[in-house]
Amino acid sequence: MRVTNMVPDVEYAMQQSQSALSVALQQVSTGLKVNQPSDNPAASANMVVSLASSANIDQYTKNVSSVLSQMETADSAISAAVTSLNTAITLGTSGASGTVTPANKQAIAAQVQGVLTSVIAQANTSYQGVYVFGGSASTTQPFVAASTTFTSTQGSAAAPLATTTALTAGSATTISDATTGDTFVFKAVAGDTVATLATAISGAVAVGTLSAGASATINATGQLAIGTNSSAAGMVVSSNDAVLGSMTAAPDTGVPNAYAYVGNSAVNSVQVGDSMDVATNLPGSQLFTTGPNVIASLKGLITALQTGTTLQIGAATTAVSTGLNYVAEQRIPLDNTISQLNDQDSYLGQETVTLTTQQTSLVGANMADAATNLSQAELTNSAVLAAAAKVLPQTLLNYLSPA
Amino acid sequence: MASLSTSLLTAVQALGADTGALQVTNNNIANASTPGYSRQVAILQEAAPTNDGNISVGNGVVLEGYQSVRDELVQTQIQQETQAQSGANAQLASLQQIQPTFTTSTQDIGTEMSAMFSSLSALSTNPTSGSAGQAVLTAGQNLATAFNTASTTLTSQQAGLNTQVTQDVNQINKITQQIAALNPQIADLNATGQDGGTVQDQQNQLVLSLSALTSVAVTKTDNGDTLTTGNGTPLVVGSQSFSLQTTTGSNGMQQVLDQNGAHITSSLTTGDLGGTIQTRDQTIPGLLNQLDTLANQFGSAINAAQAQGFNQSGATGQNFFNIPTAVAGSAASISVAITDPTQIATSSDGTAGSNGNVANLMAVQTNALPAGQTPGDTYANLVYQVGSLTSNTTAESGATTASLLQLNDQLSSVSGVSIDEESTNLISFQTAYEAAARVVTTVQALFSVTLAMGTVAAE
Repeated sequence: MRVTNMVPDVEYAMQQSQSALSVALQQVSTGLKVNQPSDNPAASANMVVSLASSANIDQYTKNVSSVLSQMETADSAISAAVTSLNTAITLGTSGASGTVTPANKQAIAAQVQGVLTSVIAQANTSYQGVYVFGGSASTTQPFVAASTTFTSTQGSAAAPLATTTALTAGSATTISDATTGDTFVFKAVAGDTVATLATAISGAVAVGTLSAGASATINATGQLAIGTNSSAAGMVVSSNDAVLGSMTAAPDTGVPNAYAYVGNSAVNSVQVGDSMDVATNLPGSQLFTTGPNVIASLKGLITALQTGTTLQIGAATTAVSTGLNYVAEQRIPLDNTISQLNDQDSYLGQETVTLTTQQTSLVGANMADAATNLSQAELTNSAVLAAAAKVLPQTLLNYLSPA
Repeated sequence: MASLSTSLLTAVQALGADTGALQVTNNNIANASTPGYSRQVAILQEAAPTNDGNISVGNGVVLEGYQSVRDELVQTQIQQETQAQSGANAQLASLQQIQPTFTTSTQDIGTEMSAMFSSLSALSTNPTSGSAGQAVLTAGQNLATAFNTASTTLTSQQAGLNTQVTQDVNQINKITQQIAALNPQIADLNATGQDGGTVQDQQNQLVLSLSALTSVAVTKTDNGDTLTTGNGTPLVVGSQSFSLQTTTGSNGMQQVLDQNGAHITSSLTTGDLGGTIQTRDQTIPGLLNQLDTLANQFGSAINAAQAQGFNQSGATGQNFFNIPTAVAGSAASISVAITDPTQIATSSDGTAGSNGNVANLMAVQTNALPAGQTPGDTYANLVYQVGSLTSNTTAESGATTASLLQLNDQLSSVSGVSIDEESTNLISFQTAYEAAARVVTTVQALFSVTLAMGTVAAE
């Protein structure tokens, strides 16, 4: 075969060797063997999925940390409440002694009042602006001092509300009862009036959601009054019905030592793994007012110490003790969740390592290979350039004597 | 009968032949680097002998003419390979500009999609957090921007390729006119039995340039080359060239028409024009459709999840993304519809602190879209396609380049000028010339001797 011009072949060889050198250099400098989808389409596609998994794992880890902090805050609050309840039991036991003078009983009652205040403070614990025992209604304090009567801001003597006054469809009026520990929610539909609300409240009393005597009436100044006829039973009422306006506690109707739960029973869940969700909160109603009503039992102990007999003080102390056991029981699932979260944190750490290894395998360059390839590419490129420099200038003319 | 005069004539004839051969050598050396040049050789032939009785005496050499050395088969193969290479290169140039958009970075669709789900997951730990809600909005805006950018990259490429179609067609028309203009000259040379020489070289070079632009078939005739496109549309017949035309199609794209106004766009598959049309009409619309589908279905799924929950005010969640009803254009126009973090429908019961609906929003990540795959898998598939297309086209471009190099080597071995060879020829013809000149000198001396003989006799 005649070889006439080696320039194109030499140029091609130089391009090929320089291209190989560029690829080898890129792999060494980036540590990656796949720098763009065309380098390995399948690995690039897998990388997209793997990186999404990594992002999820990273977020799960952050969620674990955040939830753990929130739950540890809740756990500490419950722990403090348990301590307070133990104090109350100790105080109750001493108050139930036949040798305690009435003056001492009053003093003990005052101490138990302090315990109640402390428990309420624990029940209203917040973490980063979230009331941890408020259910999903976590933006407002869940335990609020109760009153016997709440009145609407709308309605006056001049323009009184009436039982026939129509309520706004879709509005909600909420009554949280400190004695029963329950919450009654009335959601108005089209056609509902104040009378409908009053009937519904009577129904709630009948089924025990609200304390006996709870009612809704139009008072002398033309406002809607929701309350009880018992000075010992308190409640907290709220409404978002524009017809009624907000509900406010009537002056001097506060019930000493009575607190109503205005949160809800919803439980939020947060995902901390691809198939693992954890409940992040324990509703205050479940912890302090449902079952043995801890708040009410403390109130009962205070009342017994103030006015009761030794027997009644003993019974009230027993009620607090029952409440303590209940709260302690409720703490167990919370502690279990905290333990689960710690385990999950370790697992996520391992998953991160696994995914990183997978990603390195997909797109990472073996540095030993990459360095060897670079060295080889440098050598090849040098050889090609040296050969080009040697071969291209060679012609017969170099050897012919000038004429 | 041989005579000094005959010898002198033979020598002079040899001087002429050697001069001609030297001229060919000179021309070859001068064109050693000229693209498309085919080396020429001098056709030297033994002159007819003179018969003197039983003795036959040679009469030297005659220069019959010059002949270009060609290999038409390899030339045709080079034209075909050039078409394939140009087509692949046109596609590769576009894909290399599209590919970075689908390469994992801090701003690609996959990363932004993950970031959005991460921000939603973070929001679930504190649904009333303004900063966490703002992070979701920002992530949503970043994702929408990533979709917008990817769409813009594809449509910009498409617009650029559309302009290239017009430029290619104009260039094709210029070249076919030049080829047609050369055909009569070649026909004249053929008619007189001469080699096409330089004119044929020029035409071959023009056909090669044309091959880089479009698919072209060449038929050799007595009237020069007849050229047609791949589907038989005539481009050059004899001295006449047939211009291609462009017109704006219903999709806003330039369509190619033959001289009769018939659409031939889809039949142009190779050359720069073929590669450009293939990328503009097949590759990019395919990718764009998948991108639009993903943006539309993802946006719809998030909006549907929003509608299942309640915002911080307790109202039913409104659309998170603005997306058009039609799929087409969704990636280009997707944007975040809400401006306030409190409008994110995290709540499942209407209370602000509820995060019950975040699970529905998060489920978009793991649920299959109507197209059949999860959003992440759909995007991963898109990345695979872009990577695969680019990789395959790179391989095709590399293979045709290597093949073309080999074919050019093959052609060069036949038609290329070897400086060494020409240098040797130069020496050979120079020596032959000098020898012939020496014969003239010798004959001249013999003439002198002969004339001197007469002079001596007279004395």
